[in-house]
Amino acid sequence: MTLTPENLIGHLPAQKCTLGCPILDGLLGGGGIPCNSITEIVGESGCGKTQLCLQLLLSAQLPHSLGGLSASSLYLHSELPFPLRRLHHLSTTILNHNNNPLDNILVRPLHSADDLLSLLLRLDSLLLLSPSPLPIKLIVIDSIAVLFRSEFDNSPAELRRRSNLFFRIAGMLKMQARRFGLAVVVTNQVVDLVESEGVRVGDLGEMWSSGRRVGAALGMAWASCVNSRLFLSRSDEVVGREGDGELRVRTRRRIHVVFAPHLPEGSCEYQILREGVFGVRLCVLGT
Amino acid sequence: MEVSGLPVSASQRAKLASAGYTTLSSLSSISSQHLARDLNVSNEEALQILNVVMRTGRFSDLAGASIVAGAQSAWDMLLEEEHNKHITTSCGDLDKILGGGISCKEVTEIGGIPGIGKTQLGIQLAINVQIPVDYGGLGGKAIYIDTEGSFMAERVFQVAEGCIEDMLKLNVSQLKDVETLKEKMHPNTFLANIFYFRACSYTEQIAVINHLEKFVSEHKDVRIVVIDSVTFHFRQDFDDMALRTRLLSGMASKLMKLAKQFSLAVDMIGDAEILLQSGSVFFDTTKGVVILNQVTMKFTDGSFQLTLALGDSWSHACTNRVILYWNGNERHAYIDKSPSLRSQSAPYAVTSKGIRDVVSNCKRIRMM
Repeated sequence: MTLTPENLIGHLPAQKCTLGCPILDGLLGGGGIPCNSITEIVGESGCGKTQLCLQLLLSAQLPHSLGGLSASSLYLHSELPFPLRRLHHLSTTILNHNNNPLDNILVRPLHSADDLLSLLLRLDSLLLLSPSPLPIKLIVIDSIAVLFRSEFDNSPAELRRRSNLFFRIAGMLKMQARRFGLAVVVTNQVVDLVESEGVRVGDLGEMWSSGRRVGAALGMAWASCVNSRLFLSRSDEVVGREGDGELRVRTRRRIHVVFAPHLPEGSCEYQILREGVFGVRLCVLGT
Repeated sequence: MEVSGLPVSASQRAKLASAGYTTLSSLSSISSQHLARDLNVSNEEALQILNVVMRTGRFSDLAGASIVAGAQSAWDMLLEEEHNKHITTSCGDLDKILGGGISCKEVTEIGGIPGIGKTQLGIQLAINVQIPVDYGGLGGKAIYIDTEGSFMAERVFQVAEGCIEDMLKLNVSQLKDVETLKEKMHPNTFLANIFYFRACSYTEQIAVINHLEKFVSEHKDVRIVVIDSVTFHFRQDFDDMALRTRLLSGMASKLMKLAKQFSLAVDMIGDAEILLQSGSVFFDTTKGVVILNQVTMKFTDGSFQLTLALGDSWSHACTNRVILYWNGNERHAYIDKSPSLRSQSAPYAVTSKGIRDVVSNCKRIRMM
């Protein structure tokens, strides 16, 4: 680090990685997921977090002219098994100009928070001596919540140890993101919010999904660690009856910008199709 | 003033010079015993030299000021306070409770939960400090120390555009020359006037803050220092809490000093604002220091409470403390601690142009 200030005009336009859909990119201010930054995707199970991550792994390989990073990516997964079939399927529909897109995705399972920490300590060598032909510019951790939700007690001492670990992990991720211009994406689960709970955290992360009032897992300390937070919600809607009296239910999904330093709050509907995750209609901006 | 001009005997002058005392100010803060030891003379003789120094100092204005540097009468301070500048937040309600905006010369801490708009406020202040003097601003520059990586140039560009737009509007109503302003103002100029430092560890953060004193002495037009956030690196890896407290209080005192510093007018370059005060000429180089802080859960009396991070000893570090919070769907700011301001709260909004007043009776609908 030098003690001379940086030229901010050189930071324009910020490098970003497309999500592979112009509507979703538009919600994120055009361009997609920013580099040099940690973006968190929160959502309940089955709302498409992993789908979005897989799509990102593939679109990161796109050349700069198509909004990608022309880079390979590192996928760290704590939820087993790795959805290889889905990734392979997506790779055939999204990319066909690259010989073998799966060559550019490095996959590593995570077993515990300490496992992640030790991996991050060795990240330099992995990034400098990447086994794939393209440099690594995207790290996806899917999901961070699994690593922390089982391992720690609810006692104050344990919680302090846990939040220490959050800040260490986030600090290291941010430092590497800065050194190598990485886009970092982490996924997080939701917890139900109970009204009578003693803690009042303002409006932080209070959202509705599947008719439940939920918030992002891992609490305030982790929320202070990420730069941007996106929230995926779903709600089932009765749209009519089949001929035999069965209710026809349609799932409506929305992606929300909860907070981000460069974005207004806003949301947009999306669908998960065979070909991937796509935004629907124009974004409805909150402000 | 040099020691060579001091009305003492030639041998005493030589002794002073060989002991390394070349200027009057170097003699200003030492004891006679110390001087006697250094010069290898009797205590009385040293005392006599110091008396001469004192007298000489009193008759020469500049040297006198340097000898009693830092000392001021309360009357001077009151005069100075009237010249004390504020940096607007672009939100009228917020400015009102802050007594006109963020005070230069003071350390202000702003805390709140993630997403409440701490960084947005930091960016807004870094832009607003640059509003030219003709338009009621300070025409200064900003230092932004980023520890979290949330400072994004594209957002700064937007806020700068919003600021220029507002200035133009104001200008049209006053029928000033809009075209020249348009030419002079470009968001890129605003960006170029923010000195941006990114600190990736607490060591780097402390290094930057230690370097600030030298940096601002070379860039006298810096009028605000924003640290976003002071907390991030201090919440990891500190098993030794005593060390953390020491580092934090060291940092706090450096920042306090930085905010208060008046520099003596030696070189009169540029159109920097000049403050005439008790006969001597000072550049007004006080700086507002804005520290952004995170919140944490505190376990007291069997329940968790939300409080600003870094603990109780840190809460003494700042002159003013402002807490940002959600009140229903509205963002509010609350003066939690201030020696001169009343505890009260005011709503504010974060818009695409930056921090602004809440548009009344038009409740924002959260798309949840």
